[in-house]
Amino acid sequence: MVSPVAETDENAPGLTGPTVPCTGPLGDPFLRTRIVLPTRPATYLRRQRLVDHLDQALRTPLTLLNGAAGAGKTLLAADWAAGLRQPVAWLTVEVGDRRPGVFWAYVIQSLRACGAPASDAVEAPADATGVDQRLLAALAAELNDRDRPVVLVLDEYDRVTAPEVAEQLEFVLHHAGRGLRLVLVTRTEPLLPLHRYRAADELTEIRAAELAFTPEEAAALLELHGLSLPVPAARALVDRTRGWAAGLRLSALAALESADPELYLKEFEADRSTVADFLLAEVLKGQPEETQDLLLRVSVLERFCPGLANALTLRTDAGPILAGLHRGNAFVEYLGHSWYQLHPLFGEILRAHLRERLPGLEPELHRRAARWLRRSGFLPETLAHGAAAGDWDFAAGALVDDLAIGQLFTGLRSGDLTDLFSRMGPEARSPATDLVRAARDLSRYNLDRGLTRLRHAEEHLADDASEAAPEPAAVQLSCALLEALAARLTGCPSQAERAAEAADELRQEVPAHLLDKHPELTALLLTHLGSARLWAGRFEDARAALTTAAGAPGGASTVLPREDSMEHLALLDYLNGWPGRAERKALAAVSEAERVGLPQPSGSGIGQLVLAAVAVDRHELSRAQALIDEAARPSSGTRDPVTAAGRALATARLLLVRGKARAAVQAADPAVSAVVASPWAAGHEALVTSAAHLAEGRPDEAAEVLQGVSGDQPACAVEAAAIQVAAGRTGAAIDLLDSIRTGGRTGPAVTVRAALVRAQAAEGSGDTATARRLVAQALLDARRERLRRPFLDAGAWIRPLLAMPPLHELAAGWLTPGLPRHGEQPRPESLPPPLVAVELSGRERDVLERLARMMSTEEVAADLYVSVNTVKTHLKSVYRKLAVNRRGDAVRRARDLRLL
Amino acid sequence: MRYEIRVEGHLSETLAKAFPELGHVVMSGQTVLFGPVVDEAHLYGLLARCQSLGLRVVEMRQLPE
Repeated sequence: MVSPVAETDENAPGLTGPTVPCTGPLGDPFLRTRIVLPTRPATYLRRQRLVDHLDQALRTPLTLLNGAAGAGKTLLAADWAAGLRQPVAWLTVEVGDRRPGVFWAYVIQSLRACGAPASDAVEAPADATGVDQRLLAALAAELNDRDRPVVLVLDEYDRVTAPEVAEQLEFVLHHAGRGLRLVLVTRTEPLLPLHRYRAADELTEIRAAELAFTPEEAAALLELHGLSLPVPAARALVDRTRGWAAGLRLSALAALESADPELYLKEFEADRSTVADFLLAEVLKGQPEETQDLLLRVSVLERFCPGLANALTLRTDAGPILAGLHRGNAFVEYLGHSWYQLHPLFGEILRAHLRERLPGLEPELHRRAARWLRRSGFLPETLAHGAAAGDWDFAAGALVDDLAIGQLFTGLRSGDLTDLFSRMGPEARSPATDLVRAARDLSRYNLDRGLTRLRHAEEHLADDASEAAPEPAAVQLSCALLEALAARLTGCPSQAERAAEAADELRQEVPAHLLDKHPELTALLLTHLGSARLWAGRFEDARAALTTAAGAPGGASTVLPREDSMEHLALLDYLNGWPGRAERKALAAVSEAERVGLPQPSGSGIGQLVLAAVAVDRHELSRAQALIDEAARPSSGTRDPVTAAGRALATARLLLVRGKARAAVQAADPAVSAVVASPWAAGHEALVTSAAHLAEGRPDEAAEVLQGVSGDQPACAVEAAAIQVAAGRTGAAIDLLDSIRTGGRTGPAVTVRAALVRAQAAEGSGDTATARRLVAQALLDARRERLRRPFLDAGAWIRPLLAMPPLHELAAGWLTPGLPRHGEQPRPESLPPPLVAVELSGRERDVLERLARMMSTEEVAADLYVSVNTVKTHLKSVYRKLAVNRRGDAVRRARDLRLL
Repeated sequence: MRYEIRVEGHLSETLAKAFPELGHVVMSGQTVLFGPVVDEAHLYGLLARCQSLGLRVVEMRQLPE
């Protein structure tokens, strides 16, 4: 017998191994134990009839291995899979995987560990609560392209209870075709449409009755344990245990401990107690006192190594005891690298014994486990046990000490962490617990409560002398993050600057590896800083912080701040008058979020609002409306001043163009209270108010409104100049235009309008040649950006000019023919298609046209003389380019874009 | 709602403590667990607990109030 015990090392709690990545998307140090095939114990009995049946799994998409705990499902699957030549991906599902995002992150990780999917097209999801269909489609397509199928075994699948996970699994299984063979090992019936698979002969099923041991098999199993039993006696035992593997194994162990094993088994057969309960108590009773004590205590743990077990028993003998138990094949299973777990069935029963024999000890055991796990660097487990012990000061302290407070806001764990700490009662009073509460309040935009708690935590930092107290620098850095967030939400850049400066100094004082482990901390802080600077109109400083945040490393954990920063950068470009750049950045933010499967819109929704504002400038009004509606998720970001101002801007401008001046004025007020005023937000509000005055025939009031706002707002100065020209005060208008300090950063959205004002002035003074030259320049600049609004807003004077050559040619195709009257929708055929991020190829267009004719994938393939896979590939890139994930949407979007 | 759940075999006092919210009585080779069940979720939770303790559920029924 080769015992894996030989490789145990009591002093190494961590797991390392060169063959597969040890830490997953969640930085999970136990990942390895979940994606490798479980080892079979020496007493494992291979039953050829089951292996043969399981071989059918290679011919059907779905295989179900269904039976009670301890029926021998896992070992059967592992033994079978170990003999396969096909690549096998194994995943032992855990309770924490019930969130779809986490589940798929692990599935992808286990597939990757066996070399499929090979490409980077499939990123691990970044949001625990949902997975974008596109990610699943990409995964399925990747699997579908394989020559040899991957066998994916999901052990303990019964822990997946979310119906949407079953639906997603069904989707991937269906679309992966022959590329995937799914084996579900489960105690309960999965929520898949099994009847359909059964009817189509696409299901291999091995259920409890088949898993049950026959008398002959039972005799062979007992033989392996060193018990020789005649078949009739074995039959009686099988009757008593109903062929239940765990029962047989336990009865062998119990019998071996008695003086006369055969007699013992006879007595057991006559006994009427419940099998597992009785046998486990018997086997436990036969163990030495220390072993019993250890087994009871470790029953509160998911997994344990000798060091951790020692921490619970307060002894030092766990190493040899665990090795002995494993060798004797009793209670514990070996996970490799000196980690063990209890057989799940025994774990439950042992916990019942623990409560009886050592009542009230459970919280203390959790507390000891939490302390050991924290010392050894296992944060999620530390938090789970700290919470189970009700020791919130410790759990919150560990979170802060690890610099992990940012995980409450972003990443796959945020939901779990929030749930975990939502059970925290008011009795926990340490500064760290106040920080966690403040983070929760701030993330829900509950500013007043969040700030009160943050201040309270800061005041009591020095008082915290408990052993759970985190490092002062870590606490202060966590405070700085929350300060920056609070500063962003209150529109207070100076507070954000102070927080960022403090953070810069504190970063030198905390361990570098913790900073590397938590890139989200810095990314979030810089995003908040950039947002506060942007609010205050300090565009270049904002750009610096946001660009750094947008380039932060860290995959899933930083995707939210990266997307948020990118969207802020898009807004910045828009405000500077560069709609094209703004659009590209907003789309980049969206596509990055899609790649990791974030449901749209995620984050603050600024990206949608920027796209909407750009659409208004281009006079694509229904698109603008759709984008505003999409971004108008109430709860999200209502208290965030930048988002509120962005929403006010886009909505008011759209209403204005639609001729609803009063409603526009109302919508233009962002209705946020901020510590400092935002020059651009005020400027845009003034612009809308002024335009409303003009529309209702009050040019003087219109001019007055604009005088009130800062001269640093080029857009306002241009509008003020336009009013002066309309009033015949050309000189004043030119002075205003000359006074604009562009600094080289003002883009076409402003310069085109300025050129048109100058042109109008020239035209008014009879200088048609200059007017024509200026309009030509404006047309050239606007054409690239498809800026139609400035010309539509310009008034009647421009129409004769546009009808003349060469201006006529410059305007043709995107602005004219037939320049519509002011405020009127231009005729659709005069519009060029709005931007498609990348042009469709000819073949993609062919596929799309056939989709529009309601043809199926197979029909399209036949019609184009290509394979179904090729069609799918084209479809995938069409979806990507059109930023949709369904056929119907693709066709609709293509019609909107006039690609069809 | 009140329910009773019959499981096969005689349940030990120790294991019966795994169902602190239910009473139990042992009769004719079976153990009857009985008591108030808060809602469906609780009911399924009890079934899952039976399963994870290796108990064989023979019968389960709602009791008249």
